[in-house]
Amino acid sequence: MSNAQLEIQLIASLVAIACAIPGTFLVLRKMAMISDAISHSILPGIVVGFFITQDLNSPLLILLAALTGVITVVLVEYIQKTGLVKEDTAIGLVFPVLFSIGVIMIAKNANDVHLDIDAVLLGELAFAPFDRLLISGIDVGPKSLWVIGVILLITIVLLLAFFKELKLSTFDKGLAASLGFSPVILHYGLMTVSSITTVGSFDAVGAILVVALMIAPAATAYLLTTDLKKMLVLSIIFGVVSAISGYWFAHWLDASISGSITTMLGLLFLIVYLFAPSKGVIAVLYREKQQRIEVSLLTFLLHLKNHDEDNERHVNHLNEHINWQKVRSKTVLDLALRNNMIVIDNKIVSLTPKGDMFTTQAIDYIITNEDTQIEDMKNDFFLFRG
Amino acid sequence: MKQKIAVQVDDLTVAYNYKPVLWDIDLEIPEGVLMAIVGPNGAGKSTLIKSILGILKPIAGSVTIYGKPYKKQRSLVAYVPQKGSVDWDFPTTALDVVMMGTYGSLGWIKRPRQKEKKASLEALEKVGMLAFKSRQISQLSGGQQQRIFLARALVQDASIYFMDEPFQGVDATTEIAIINILKELRKAGKTVVVVHHDLQTVPEYFDWVTFLNVKKIATGPVKDIFNDNNLTKTYGINYKVSVQE
Repeated sequence: MSNAQLEIQLIASLVAIACAIPGTFLVLRKMAMISDAISHSILPGIVVGFFITQDLNSPLLILLAALTGVITVVLVEYIQKTGLVKEDTAIGLVFPVLFSIGVIMIAKNANDVHLDIDAVLLGELAFAPFDRLLISGIDVGPKSLWVIGVILLITIVLLLAFFKELKLSTFDKGLAASLGFSPVILHYGLMTVSSITTVGSFDAVGAILVVALMIAPAATAYLLTTDLKKMLVLSIIFGVVSAISGYWFAHWLDASISGSITTMLGLLFLIVYLFAPSKGVIAVLYREKQQRIEVSLLTFLLHLKNHDEDNERHVNHLNEHINWQKVRSKTVLDLALRNNMIVIDNKIVSLTPKGDMFTTQAIDYIITNEDTQIEDMKNDFFLFRG
Repeated sequence: MKQKIAVQVDDLTVAYNYKPVLWDIDLEIPEGVLMAIVGPNGAGKSTLIKSILGILKPIAGSVTIYGKPYKKQRSLVAYVPQKGSVDWDFPTTALDVVMMGTYGSLGWIKRPRQKEKKASLEALEKVGMLAFKSRQISQLSGGQQQRIFLARALVQDASIYFMDEPFQGVDATTEIAIINILKELRKAGKTVVVVHHDLQTVPEYFDWVTFLNVKKIATGPVKDIFNDNNLTKTYGINYKVSVQE
């Protein structure tokens, strides 16, 4: 692996981490589309910044562009507050306008500006190692590595300092306000960090990948955990894994790095979406199937409870009486036997005390919806897990 | 002996988009009462609480808590928002939500430690939810979620408790458990203010009541003012409740 390759992967990984952190909070605040808006509307900020500084990595340019990002959020909220349009419409109104202003500015000055639309949308990670940072003539690495490194460091320090406040205001704005943690300050703090991260990553990975790196890892992690800290860690891991595997995928295909990284993010999400242990599609389908069987079991047990006559409890008659197919009857019968809820004596089915108790509690729960007595059963039966 | 005033509201007017939802409210809440705020939908009940707590900005008027502005008295006040106001799919546990009640006394940046955790566990025990401390909050029933919110307010160890419809969507057992805790709070000399919907239970649960419908209709002891006259004034129609004597 050459030095340049290593540097590209390092930049991609740092960008992934820097994006995953604010991205997690954006996803939880249901503001994923805001990152899309920010990533596009910072373009005029970048162009103006570039006119002034002539350097895509200058801190002034980053601040100017980040300011455009925050202005976007303010505009979206202002339009939304009028009550005339909904939030998604407001987003759709604001960012294309700002983005187009940037596009026109680039087009008008195409001859003197080293910026083009392709690079803006998709970035060009492969060129990142060519732009070196020289400190008194010594090469200390690619400029974009330093830029994103510094941004990441600031993000981590802010996250560690204000984790509690961010969590509270994301979960319960009202309580945050009443306890004196201004949700407005936290909101704009998060927006500022998101904007700065977007600008810092933009040069390397472009407007579209920035959005993917903010949203996809967090959305994937959300399917896997019920703990905010773990969600942050998983988002970071997913981001870095996609960044590195995406790089090698692009290397192998000889294709765009940012496109490959985004593809990896999509693939990762798809895999987790299908196979996540409790929220994944397959788990949900399995749970629904089990619930159907359990409802059948309950129906069957209730039938036994309500009937003392032998003919109502004869194995062969059960099919007719509760009108089930053979297969379903057998599944249910086996399940009941396995759980010691019934005994079969001479083809006559009877409830055991355990089966009797279970039926009473389950019916009681379904009627009253009071779940104190079924707490122990929750682990064995999907039916009671809500 | 004159009772101390816990909350004083003067000439409070609150508007959404220039449309007043609360108009010129004057209200005194004496210390140590268990008070219901009743009124029809859109009467501004939640708005009143939110304005007292500084969550909403009034266009006129002032609020004081024991004679000082809310900002200086935050530590004296606990707030239980409507259960529906938060996303219960948020990745966190019951214990963690209760610990959020300690954030106010911690202030910015400082993290909760053992002391806060212990207090939160005690609060969970008080509401009968200790066994659920590690449960993800979406895995709790509506009644259990409400108890978690109550525990979060208890852990604040405040003097005044504001609750926005704590009985909404909870089962009968939880409702009794909650009202018993509220009565205990009153016994301990705390002031409790509850936005309440079920008029039938007002005389049984509360000793003080405020009728609200954009304007304040009446406020005072339940036994003196909870009558058909005030109910009709508040709800607009001929309202009759049988009040058990």
